[in-house]
Amino acid sequence: MAAEGDKFVYDPERNYDDATMAQIRVMENEIASQNNIVSDRLSLQTLMEEYADADDAFKLKIKDLESRYRYMRRTRGDGNCFYRAFGFACLEQFLTDSKTLPRFKEVAQKSRDELVSLGFPQFTIEDFHESFMAAIKQVEKQCSVTELSNIFNDQGLSDYIVVYLRLLVSGYLQKEADFFANFIEGERTVKEFCNQEVEPMGKESDHIHIIALTTTLDVPVRVEYMDRVDSEKCTQHNFPEESQPSIALLYRPGHYDILYS
Amino acid sequence: MTSMEKRLQKELQALTKDPPAGVIVNTESVSQNMSEWIVDLYGAPGSLYDGEKFQLSFKFSPRYPFDSPQVMFIGPNIPVHPHVYSNGHICLSILTDDWSPALSVTSVCLSIVSMLSSCQEKKRPPDNAIYVKTCSKNPKKTRWFYHDDTV
Repeated sequence: MAAEGDKFVYDPERNYDDATMAQIRVMENEIASQNNIVSDRLSLQTLMEEYADADDAFKLKIKDLESRYRYMRRTRGDGNCFYRAFGFACLEQFLTDSKTLPRFKEVAQKSRDELVSLGFPQFTIEDFHESFMAAIKQVEKQCSVTELSNIFNDQGLSDYIVVYLRLLVSGYLQKEADFFANFIEGERTVKEFCNQEVEPMGKESDHIHIIALTTTLDVPVRVEYMDRVDSEKCTQHNFPEESQPSIALLYRPGHYDILYS
Repeated sequence: MTSMEKRLQKELQALTKDPPAGVIVNTESVSQNMSEWIVDLYGAPGSLYDGEKFQLSFKFSPRYPFDSPQVMFIGPNIPVHPHVYSNGHICLSILTDDWSPALSVTSVCLSIVSMLSSCQEKKRPPDNAIYVKTCSKNPKKTRWFYHDDTV
């Protein structure tokens, strides 16, 4: 290792990849060991504490949030946070309001065959579908919130559900490719976009992913945007726009958590 | 059986029952060790590799299908291709960045066959000499930069 102050000189004969990737693994493990995949319900006060040293812009936005929400649930920042936040909040709402659960279950059940008809190989998707359906069945049996939380905090089960939600997004975008082609940046087809930005684990989500998942599952969501935009309030956005969502997510650049009123 | 073994068992069944053209899994290698497969690959008719036989090695970690498989060409015949290094390493985005747990051994083989079939000129990657000298034995430890999808 070079002594402090020495200028870094690139040595083309040396392999830097091993060290870089080992460093990435260390960072991933650190994130994993410090946080639950999905946390318990926390007072919004914890958000204020997190921004204690931040400028007033953020504090004003948190105050604004506090006027509408009382609790939050944090998700791990591993690039899958939107899927876990949405998946958890979506299933959790059916624990208190089970009226629309049968319809949701039917949509979820049928979705596998739709994916197969779009060309996804059945033998790879069925395991993910089964895990998703198993979680829905637990909710149908009115399991406790703790039991639902245990499912989402089991890395294996949780990841299987995330994969399935990613496939649902990919399937919907591909089914409506003519429409979504207009919103994809760069010289990519919708299918290429799905292969690169939707299906791989850890790839972050944007508006287009949220539109696809909320539409295909017919579960609307409200997102509160807490970003650097110059205003005293968080910007709200409903997906789809004219809906009345009963679940809400907090977006901070690059990350989604769950909000409760 | 672990979820990795269960998944590989399913893939093996599908691949032996309904193999894509030019892809033959060596079931003998698999029966000895479920986490290491050898797959024979035949150059597609009409392509620059028509009539050539290649061997692919697949290694699976216990985190498969969340970890991508480690895939490389092995044996006496390594295809001469702008994305294949002479040590068998392959520059293909689905093997690292774009891997998804919904992909499979079959889909990886199909991508490699298609990569070979679309080749216009048999040549090694421009940085072959330096890469082969400095790279790790495991191609997954290379940070690949995918710049050219046209070959």
